[in-house]
Amino acid sequence: MNIQAVIVNGQKIVPAVEFELQTSKVIGIQTNVQRKKMLLAQLAEQPDTYLSLVDQGEYTRLTVEELLRFLKNVSGHKEGVGSMLRRFQLEDVKRLKISNLTASKCAYLSLLRIYYAQQQTIVLEEPYFQLEEQERQVFARLVQELSAEKRIIILTGNLEDALISCDEVYRLDDAGLHHLDIADSDNEPEEQAEAEEADFKVQKIPTKKNDKVILFNPPEIDYIESINSLAVVHVGGETYSCALTLAELEQRLQHYGFFRCHRSYIVNLQKVRELITWTKNSYSLRLTTGQDSVVPLSRTKLVEMKKLLNI
Amino acid sequence: MNVSLKRIQAILIKDYKEFSRNYAISVMILFPLLFALIYRSDGGEQATMYAFVMNFSLAMLTSFVQACLIAEEKERSTLRSLMMTPASMLDVLIGKSSLVFIISAVVLAASTYLFGFESTNILLLVAALGISILLYTAIGTICGLYSKSLIEASLSVFPVLIIFTVGPFALLFEDDYPVLAVLNYLPSSQLSELLTNMEVGASGGDLYMPLVIISIWAVVVTIISFILYKKRLMDY
Repeated sequence: MNIQAVIVNGQKIVPAVEFELQTSKVIGIQTNVQRKKMLLAQLAEQPDTYLSLVDQGEYTRLTVEELLRFLKNVSGHKEGVGSMLRRFQLEDVKRLKISNLTASKCAYLSLLRIYYAQQQTIVLEEPYFQLEEQERQVFARLVQELSAEKRIIILTGNLEDALISCDEVYRLDDAGLHHLDIADSDNEPEEQAEAEEADFKVQKIPTKKNDKVILFNPPEIDYIESINSLAVVHVGGETYSCALTLAELEQRLQHYGFFRCHRSYIVNLQKVRELITWTKNSYSLRLTTGQDSVVPLSRTKLVEMKKLLNI
Repeated sequence: MNVSLKRIQAILIKDYKEFSRNYAISVMILFPLLFALIYRSDGGEQATMYAFVMNFSLAMLTSFVQACLIAEEKERSTLRSLMMTPASMLDVLIGKSSLVFIISAVVLAASTYLFGFESTNILLLVAALGISILLYTAIGTICGLYSKSLIEASLSVFPVLIIFTVGPFALLFEDDYPVLAVLNYLPSSQLSELLTNMEVGASGGDLYMPLVIISIWAVVVTIISFILYKKRLMDY
């Protein structure tokens, strides 16, 4: 499936992405509200696609049984209403009017429309948002069942919701679609965990801001610069001062993928997006953090860094 | 657009249940009956009064219910998911219109009985009322398409009520304002004229002319409502 880039006011909100859909694999895409709306607008254009939106209303004056019968007749679905009620675990409320159901049950009932969809691709917007625990479980099972014959995409702003029933989870931001590597915790080899435990050292970088001590995990840090022989830590566009010297910091952080790219800069290599060549021997590194954060790279360090990154 | 009887029936049954349980709308079927009872005693000019009751009922019941059915579906955005089922837009429109037609036909027949209107030409009366119901259903469809909620729909019916039901009464001022002669061609005026002509025992052209004019109205408005329906739902 191809999604075209959406550019608003010269800013790229949704990049052009392409992903493959297949049955028996539920795809989850986690993104923010604005991108979700744009994505949905594009998905609506796709042929053979059923959209289940979060503001889907309901025929509140019908009973549950009447609604399912209506959906069955109108969509030409084969299975009888009785067995559908059993499958959906709605037998005890089948004579209740939909307006008398709990909000969670009502949202669940609206979601069940996907079962009657003829289309091969089904897009669900925030399916778990309004569901309570019990409905969540039932619905997650139904989604798994349905995915045997349909291609299902779940769009959500909440990663936890995506984890409930997706086989593959992606995060969409302005840079593109990133596959999130989610390993089942049960499958992790145990001996590895033990080995890690043995030489596990807590490594936090203490910083100060407004007389408060803030501890950062190394991966959070974008880069560190030295201003007037004082280390300044940059995290997500904010700056925090640190009492350690750059040399000390470099030593502490070298195992976390940090690199002394300049006499007064240490950069988190994981966050480097681009190597900018200004002239033959003047370079900079642009970071992924977006806010035009550019770190100088000295010529002598370039060779070292290339070796480190195998380029 | 393919049309399936099974789906139309499903939509009709669903809408009937929704209609009968929504008292704010279904109470409308009482008004024609009530009006028929109130005005029944008139002996002399029975036809004029009867025409008023019929015109009022058509606007207040037929157009109103149709507008509400369409607007409510839009308001709750159930129409959107209905569009994604195999049910075509035509299925939805026919399903709703046939429900409104059945309800209107039954209520109008009952109020005719309560009013005690005696017609010499039942066939002509049935034809005139049947065509009128079609016309007012189409008007209701247009009202429903332009309103986003039930409240808007019920308000949008008032212009219809004023123009079509009150229109014939404005003809009293025709001598002062010659422009008002246009109102003669309103379907409600024509229905009134038809019924009066029937009462005085006219025949031939006097009877069939109004029927033709009402039919032209019905055909034109139905076509307009179809085009609008298709266009508005595309944007939707």
